[in-house]
Amino acid sequence: MPRQLLVIEDGHEYEEFARLFLSQTYAIRAAHSADEALACLESQVADALLVDLRFERAPVDRLRGDLAAMTKRFHGDRARAVQYLKDQQGTLVLAALREAGHDCVAVFVHDFPPRRLTNLRKLYGQVEAVPSFDARLIAEALAR
Amino acid sequence: MPRFLHIALFAIATTLLACQPAPDAAPEYETWANASRSFTSGEVDAYRKWRALDPESEDGRRASQKLSEADARYRRGIELLERGEDGARAELLAGVAIAPMNPALYLRLARISAERGQELRAAEYYTKWLTAFPAHEDAATVRGELQALDPELAGIFTSPPEPVTPTLTESPAMPSWAVATFGVFVGLALAAALAGLSNWWRRRGVSLGELAKKNPELHPAIAYLVGSLRHELLKHRIGAAGDAIAALTEGHSSREQLDFLRSRLFSGEPLADAWASHLRAFERGLSHRVDLTRDRGFRRAGRAIKRIATLQEASIEKSRSVARLSEAHHELVRFDAELRDLTAGLVRTEVDRALLAEVKTEVLGEYHAGQVELTDFVLDVEEETELEVFRIDLILILKNIVRNAILAVGRGDEPRRVKLDVAIALEPTGEERVLLRVHDTSAETLRADTLLDRRVDRGLGLVAAAVSRYGGSITVEDGDDGFEKAVCVSFFRAFDGA
Repeated sequence: MPRQLLVIEDGHEYEEFARLFLSQTYAIRAAHSADEALACLESQVADALLVDLRFERAPVDRLRGDLAAMTKRFHGDRARAVQYLKDQQGTLVLAALREAGHDCVAVFVHDFPPRRLTNLRKLYGQVEAVPSFDARLIAEALAR
Repeated sequence: MPRFLHIALFAIATTLLACQPAPDAAPEYETWANASRSFTSGEVDAYRKWRALDPESEDGRRASQKLSEADARYRRGIELLERGEDGARAELLAGVAIAPMNPALYLRLARISAERGQELRAAEYYTKWLTAFPAHEDAATVRGELQALDPELAGIFTSPPEPVTPTLTESPAMPSWAVATFGVFVGLALAAALAGLSNWWRRRGVSLGELAKKNPELHPAIAYLVGSLRHELLKHRIGAAGDAIAALTEGHSSREQLDFLRSRLFSGEPLADAWASHLRAFERGLSHRVDLTRDRGFRRAGRAIKRIATLQEASIEKSRSVARLSEAHHELVRFDAELRDLTAGLVRTEVDRALLAEVKTEVLGEYHAGQVELTDFVLDVEEETELEVFRIDLILILKNIVRNAILAVGRGDEPRRVKLDVAIALEPTGEERVLLRVHDTSAETLRADTLLDRRVDRGLGLVAAAVSRYGGSITVEDGDDGFEKAVCVSFFRAFDGA
């Protein structure tokens, strides 16, 4: 039985990439928000998560994060708060999944600074990051 | 190039033949009509002709007076240039409007230009002066100065040339008016070209790296624009295609990989359009102070994008296309790494005890704040860290808040305590927020919206604006034990190796 990979992103690029380069190892499903991801994982658990960081195209009402608090932090600038939540959405989605008890490895395709990756691991356990869309590196990270 | 040079050039054009030595005798006086026309039409012999008018005639007296007036303006302009003061242009322009310039002034212009390192310009003036005064007692010295600038050119003047009497009227080949008109035309064309060059030089932007070096206040905008370009174009469309291109290069790509490659490179918004859109965003966001055509990395990346965009989607797997694609992809990956390094090196300020102590010392050294008898002023740094904030801005922000706190406790009873501390808070995004807090024991309330009011007379409205510029925030919170409240300024911590 193939391992289960859940791709979480605002578009389809990660899913296309995964189907092309990772489908020999993984059965691939995709979700485009935290709620969709939670629903997917309720129906069937995943062995690994491939997560986009920025959700530029996601509608505001599907974003995770406290928009009101963030707007206050940015001195009432709601647009800036929305942008911030979009820019960091992948980590906030992961927070929601971890809170729901889904603790499989999560891989970001992003060149996080080492300290930030360490922080993400402190917060969310098994988190990996690869700096670019390199199929071999992503496969290795997902298998950890 | 300074504007005065344009004017000087014009003056040269109008007086060039005055460079020629005056004849030993001037038996015949020039007519005013001829001398006047000579100047207004830019004739090179104008200065000599003006001087050659009958000094007893009304025209001669008028010319002499005008030459004198003009000479004063030219000399004044040159003096201002020599002192590096403003107004030289206006004086020189005024001179040009009155009468031709005395060619003797070329030497001073030459020396000004030489001092400013404008060697070509200096050589030109030296040459004009030597042409005008080849047998002058200073000619040897001037030749030496020219020699130092341009040995080759100076060689022409190693021996004083035979004085050249203006012979334009005697030239069988070309009438004097044609020579003069040609001279004026060339002079004006050259002046216009230099003016255009000068204008372009002043208005040109700089490369992104240069802009970042010189304008720390633009770093947040630069970081955001670079982040968007890297994420949306270089990562999702170029970086994602890397494996498919590698498979294609190695000759074992599948149909699916080819489809994927085509979707990345040719579907949706054309790559060239997406690239142009990002470049426009840079220009908009950075107020046209950046000129990406001057940025080597952007130029190379632009060419790589163009190479990919001109490939035929249908024949992408042909060997020639594969080689071009692979080369362009490699270039863009390198560009992505350069951008990463650029943003990693943006402004950093170390937040440590020394910085807090500097704030404390400076505020307590001020007259009003220094009058307050504080019970204590505590500094506390939980962990030294770095912020992407220009140091002088951070100090100004903290000084404003600390000053307000000291003055507030000064208006109340003892204990009059202030504490400036630094704490770190971990965010759910894995980022860290650095909290710079100013606690005080004043019972005066300070509402958060007061902090953001630009009209506030306590200076904190401007502080809030500065904080916003760096993506930070400012809030009022409960103070630690023993304090009434704290004003908290927070910024994201700068990480190494972004």
